[in-house]
Amino acid sequence: MDQYSILGRVGEGAHGIVFKAKHIETGQTVAMKKVSLRRSEEGFPNQALREIQALQEIEDNPYVVRLKEVFPHGKGFVLVFDFMLSDLSEVIRNTQRPLTQSQVKGYMMMLLKGVAFLHQNNIMHRDLKPANLLISSSGHLKIADFGLARLFSSQQQRLYSHQVATRWYRAPELLYGARKYDEGVDLWAVGCVFGELLNSSPLFPGENDIEQLCCVLRVLGTPTLHTWPEMVELPDYNKITFKENPAIPLEELVPDSSPQAVHLLSSFLVYPPKQRCPATQALLHPYFFTPPLPAHHSELPIPPPPRQRSQAPPTHFSVHLPLENSLVDPVMLRHHAPCL
Amino acid sequence: MYHNSSHKKFWIFDTEDAVELLRCEANRKFRSKMSTSGKPGLKEAMFLERHEERVLFRYYEKRLLDFCNVFKPAMPKSVVGTAIMFFRRFYLNNSLMEYHPRIIMFTCAYLSCKVDEFNVSSTQFVGNLVQETPAGQERVLEQILEFELLLIQQLNFHLVVHTPYRPMEGLLIDIKTRYPPLENPESLRKSADDFLTRASTTDTGLLFSPSQIALTAILNSASRAGLSMDSYLTECMGMKDNKETLLKLHESMRRMKKLIKEYELPKPEEVNAYKEKLERVHAEFNTTTNKRKRGYEEDGHVAKEPRIAEEEEWTDEDLL
Repeated sequence: MDQYSILGRVGEGAHGIVFKAKHIETGQTVAMKKVSLRRSEEGFPNQALREIQALQEIEDNPYVVRLKEVFPHGKGFVLVFDFMLSDLSEVIRNTQRPLTQSQVKGYMMMLLKGVAFLHQNNIMHRDLKPANLLISSSGHLKIADFGLARLFSSQQQRLYSHQVATRWYRAPELLYGARKYDEGVDLWAVGCVFGELLNSSPLFPGENDIEQLCCVLRVLGTPTLHTWPEMVELPDYNKITFKENPAIPLEELVPDSSPQAVHLLSSFLVYPPKQRCPATQALLHPYFFTPPLPAHHSELPIPPPPRQRSQAPPTHFSVHLPLENSLVDPVMLRHHAPCL
Repeated sequence: MYHNSSHKKFWIFDTEDAVELLRCEANRKFRSKMSTSGKPGLKEAMFLERHEERVLFRYYEKRLLDFCNVFKPAMPKSVVGTAIMFFRRFYLNNSLMEYHPRIIMFTCAYLSCKVDEFNVSSTQFVGNLVQETPAGQERVLEQILEFELLLIQQLNFHLVVHTPYRPMEGLLIDIKTRYPPLENPESLRKSADDFLTRASTTDTGLLFSPSQIALTAILNSASRAGLSMDSYLTECMGMKDNKETLLKLHESMRRMKKLIKEYELPKPEEVNAYKEKLERVHAEFNTTTNKRKRGYEEDGHVAKEPRIAEEEEWTDEDLL
C-alpha cells in the first residue's frame, strides 16, 4: 500500500470501492479495487475469490484487463489493475453521432478476441455487458470484472448458479433456470452487446426476469421442441408458458445494419447454446473482412471518464508567491509556436 | 491450463530436499522469533523438533482427509485434493507452532469448497463437526473466518490447484480410444484412485505435475494387475525415439513411489506426546497474537463489534 499514492475515487462497485492511484516508483496510474470483508457470515466473498482465481491463472492478453498485484490490506485486500479511462456503456451513451460501421467492427473484434482468449483458457466470464468492457486511453477495449467468472470444465457435471449475468445480457437458458451451462452464456451476451452497438440502445431491456424472457421471445419467437430440443430439461421450463409467437426477422431489430452484421448477430442469438457461434469462429466471419474494415483503435472515440466523482485534492495556491512563478515563459514556447 | 498456472510457476519444487528445507526454515524462524522476544523461562526443549512437527502434520492431515471424506453432502475429490494441497502449501512456510493446525485444516477445507465451487454455506460446513455443540460449531466458524485471509495470503493468492483427477479421466479416455491392447481400462480405476489418495498425503503434489502423477497412478495400477503398458508410453505417447524423456519419466515415477512407500501413519503415543508439546507452545507463546487475531477465546463469545469498528479504516482518509 505504501507504494501507491491515492489520487481519487473512481467508483463504487457491489463489492468494493475503486480508487485511482499512482505507483510511486514507476509513476504508473492504476485502478485499485479495495474489497473489505465486512459483515460477511461466509467470510471471503466468493465473487472476489473467483475474480482472483481467474485473473491469476491467465497470461497477459491485450483484450483482458490485467491484474497487476493483489495484497491484503487491513481487514480486506486490494486488487491492482491498469487504470482504464472509461467503458463501453459510456461510449454508447456519449457519442454525439452513432458509432460508424467500422467503429462497431473494431469494438466487436476486440471483444471477440478477448472472449476467445478467455474461452481457450477455460474461463467463462458470465457477466459480459458494456459496463464491464473497459476502454483504455488508447482506445483499446479490455474485458473486466471477473467477479462472476469461473473456470469451467468440459465434463459438464457440475451445477452452477443461474443467478448470474446482468439481466439484459442473460442467456435464455439462464432465464429458464439452467444450472448446467457453458461458454454459450458469454456468446449470447456478446450478441446482446453487438446489437447494442449497432442500435445504440439495448436489445432486450427487460424490466424483470419474466419480462426479460418475453423480450427475447418476442424477437426470436417462442422456442419449440424443434428449435430448442434441450429446453424441456430446463428447471423452469414448465413453470411459465408463453403465447405462441413467431420470430421477427433480425433485420427489423437492427435496421440500418449490413446483411453481414445481421448474419453474425443471428449466429449468436440462437436458443440452443451449443449452436451459438464460438468466438474464434466469429472472428473469421466475412463481416470483419468486407469494407468498411474494422477501425484501428486510434480511430475509436475516447469518451470522457464516467461521471467523475473524484474528490481530487485542490491544487495548492499560495498568495504569497510571486505570480511569475506560475506563468510559462513565452521563450520556452518559441519552438513549438512559430507565430509567437 | 496447467502449463501457465500459478501452480506450476510457484508451487512445484525441484527436489524433496528443497521442500524439506523450507519447512526446517519455518521451524527455525519461529524459534528465533520467540527467542528474540525475550520471554522469561524460555527453553529450547519446549519447541517442537522438525521431525515432531512432521508427525503432527501427518496426524492433522489425516484428520483433514477423514473430515472431508465423511462430509455431507459428499465432497468431490478435487475439493478434497485442493484442501489437502492448501494445507501442505501453508505449512511449507509456517511452523505448526505458529498457527495451530487444528484450525488451519478446517480453514483449508472451507476455502477449498469455495474455490472449487462446491457450494456449501458456512453453517452447513461447520454442521459437519458432529461432535461439537451448536455453540462449539459457531466458535469454530468464527475461527475459520478469522484465519481465512491469513491462509489466502500465505497461499500468495494462488487459489487454483490442479489435482490429478481430471488428467486421470483424460488418460483413461485416451487409453480406451487409442490403446486397444488393454482390454478393460476401467479395471485400472480403483487401484489408480487409491494411488492418488495416497499420493495426496505426500509431497508428490509439490514435486510433480498432476498429469505425471495421474500417469504413474495408472501405470502402477496396471503393473499391479500384471499388465504391461510399456508400449503405451513408446507408441501412444511418442516416447519411442525419445529415450531421454522416457528415462526422466521413469525416474519421476520411481521417486513418487518411494514417497508413497515411505508414508506411515503416525503412532498414537507419539502424536499424544507431541500434541501436548504443541498445546504448551501455543499456550506459552501465542497468546498475544491470538488476542489480536481473535479475542473471543478469552471473552467466551464472538468479537464482532470491534471488528466492525475497524472496517472503515480504508475510506476517504486515504485520499488525503
